[in-house]
Amino acid sequence: MLLRVENIHKSYGAAEILKGVSFDMAPGQSKVIMGPSGTGKSTLLRCINHLTPPDKGRIFVDGEELTAKNLNTMRQKVAFVFQDFNLFTHLRTVENVAIGPRKLRGFGKKAALDLAYKELERVGLSDRADAYPAELSGGQQQRASIARALAMEPKLILFDEPTSALDPELTGEVVSVMNKLASEGMTMLVVSHEIGFARKAADEIIFMEGGKIIEQGPPSQIFNAPQQDRTRAFLNVIEHGDDA
Amino acid sequence: MSAWFDFAIEHLPYVLLGVPTTLGLWVSAMTIGAMLGLVLAWARIYGNRPIYVIATIYVEIFRGTPMLVQMFFIYLGLPEIGIVFDPLTAAVIAIGLNTAAYQAEYLRGAVRSVPMGQMTAARALGMGKFQGFVNIILPQALRRVIPQWSNEAILELKYTSIAYAIGVTEITARAEKIGYETFQFFEVFLLIAAIYVVMTSIVAQLLLLLEKKVSVPGL
Amino acid sequence: MIFETLLSQMPYLVHGLTVAIGLLVCLLSLGLALGLVLAILEVYGHWTLRLVCVLFERVFRGIPAIVLLLLFYYGVTDYIEMGSFTAAVLALGLRSAAYQSQIFRGAFLSVPNGQMMAARAMGMNKLQAIRDIIIPQALRMSIGPWTNEFSSELKATSLAYVIGVVELTRQAKYIISNTQGNILVVFGVVALMYFVVNRAGNWALYRLENRLSLPGFEHRGDA
Ligand SMILES: Nc1ncnc2c1ncn2[C@@H]1O[C@H](COP(=O)(O)OP(=O)(O)OP(=O)(O)O)[C@@H](O)[C@H]1O
Ligand SMILES: [Mg+2]
Repeated sequence: MLLRVENIHKSYGAAEILKGVSFDMAPGQSKVIMGPSGTGKSTLLRCINHLTPPDKGRIFVDGEELTAKNLNTMRQKVAFVFQDFNLFTHLRTVENVAIGPRKLRGFGKKAALDLAYKELERVGLSDRADAYPAELSGGQQQRASIARALAMEPKLILFDEPTSALDPELTGEVVSVMNKLASEGMTMLVVSHEIGFARKAADEIIFMEGGKIIEQGPPSQIFNAPQQDRTRAFLNVIEHGDDA
Repeated sequence: MSAWFDFAIEHLPYVLLGVPTTLGLWVSAMTIGAMLGLVLAWARIYGNRPIYVIATIYVEIFRGTPMLVQMFFIYLGLPEIGIVFDPLTAAVIAIGLNTAAYQAEYLRGAVRSVPMGQMTAARALGMGKFQGFVNIILPQALRRVIPQWSNEAILELKYTSIAYAIGVTEITARAEKIGYETFQFFEVFLLIAAIYVVMTSIVAQLLLLLEKKVSVPGL
Repeated sequence: MIFETLLSQMPYLVHGLTVAIGLLVCLLSLGLALGLVLAILEVYGHWTLRLVCVLFERVFRGIPAIVLLLLFYYGVTDYIEMGSFTAAVLALGLRSAAYQSQIFRGAFLSVPNGQMMAARAMGMNKLQAIRDIIIPQALRMSIGPWTNEFSSELKATSLAYVIGVVELTRQAKYIISNTQGNILVVFGVVALMYFVVNRAGNWALYRLENRLSLPGFEHRGDA
């Protein structure tokens, strides 16, 4: 297994947000996590790379357990794409992509930039390489942040609602980049309510509610024949356009 | 440490006799600064061209040069043209003129932050420009300026020590005198450092109280 | 007559000015380095370190510059040998550190949280993230307020006069006692010198701020 999530628990004060979440991912798989707001999806994703350390439970990447000690090397294998991009404000787009290889992977300046241009091309942003983040549209910023993740040549990319901060007309360009990555065999764990991506690119849908996984399975099953009433109700809402 | 306490207690009374001088110097200078600052702020906002230019030059000069040089200019220089002050008066004038320039700028910023509509409304009620300024704009601006003004007041309290350079016997000068008598310079300057920290802390607390007391919801 | 005196004394004033500027550069550098460390510890450090830093700031901001100068010159030299210039650099530099740390702390706190998070998420440790991501952004934002600190420290260098540093103000006093008079003119010229250096410094820092400002983050760019 490339990723093993084992019995993750997390509380904030008295509120138990994650109540024992476990699942596995094989290399090349894409999984989409769905569920109502406040259910702990972001918290789960952040627990996976210890941006929020879990209270209990274990994370294994490529068979190696993630601990406080190997945190920084493990994070290089598990990239994170944020809802609000978080591109480094003071760096040009290409520098944003190059900084990881340069500072963390021991690349020389030239090699890091070459890689950065290559990854920008992959997300269709070569022409904006010299722009600062503030000069990019939301969709471009998100694609740049995906390129930044790719430049770490990670084993796995975590996406936390990568399109939900975008205007509807800009989500398409990000989703199509994600589709492309999935088809190229990138392992992706995506929190998203993009039905299009989920149907087309996901190998499995994980449906969460109340800090637990209540149903999981291939998209065809989850979308066409959900077992749980809660899942059905939720899918009804998002498929019919009411804001979930 | 205990040796220092003994020393401190022995010499505290003599040093503390400088406190009234320091505080008197501070209060007089701040008062001059507040009044002149108000006039300068008015001149910079509402004055016609020549008045604006004069006020601006004043502010630039006093903010652009050291207070010590200003004090020497007044205390040592002005007697050349027949204007003579005793050290304390010269210090009050120098610090007052200096802080006026800063206070004017803070006040100007505060006045500009009062929405235009306030003056329009005052004029609509039939107030003149000056009346509107005094009755409507100023009360709001003064409240807004309090945090910066407090900062300035505390800075000036510390700057009163500069008067020592022209021979005013305030706290610092008294400390130096004890230093020369006992040759325990470190001990005595440590003592007055503590006194200044205490004084500035008390003043800061009082000004915070003032700020709370005059605050108005929404301002 | 006055102008001849002035002309003949000019080299002394210029020398005094270079000493003042030297003092300014040293004290600002000390203040910058230490102020940055203090700010980092205050924002990212353990609470005990934070306490120490806050205490340092309180003390150095609460004591008048003159008293600090006297304390370091007469006081500390009882225990550690140092000249008046060094004492002035230490006294004013440590004080400046207290003021500068406030500037930097404000700047650190105004860098959005997501920047640190994104840096940590890609595997940078805290120190790397602070150095490569936070500081470059925070320093840019600090230039504006730092300009005020520059001005006030330039003026504060004149206070080193009281411990005998032969900077611009003391040179002026020497000239006045040597030439028996010309007080208004000499102090007028000295004031002008401070004024010009202040203006030049502000202008240069303003230029620097504009040159380093990022598209979409220009604050003062109305010129
Ligand atoms: N740092 C925190 N401190 C306290 N509570 C938190 C913190 N972060 C998240 N929570 C709480 O944890 C719960 C789950 O949050 P989380 O962001 O994981 O939900 P989510 O499923 O991602 O929701 P959404 O779809 O709205 O993004 C929420 O009730 C939230 O208020
Ligand atoms: Mg979320």
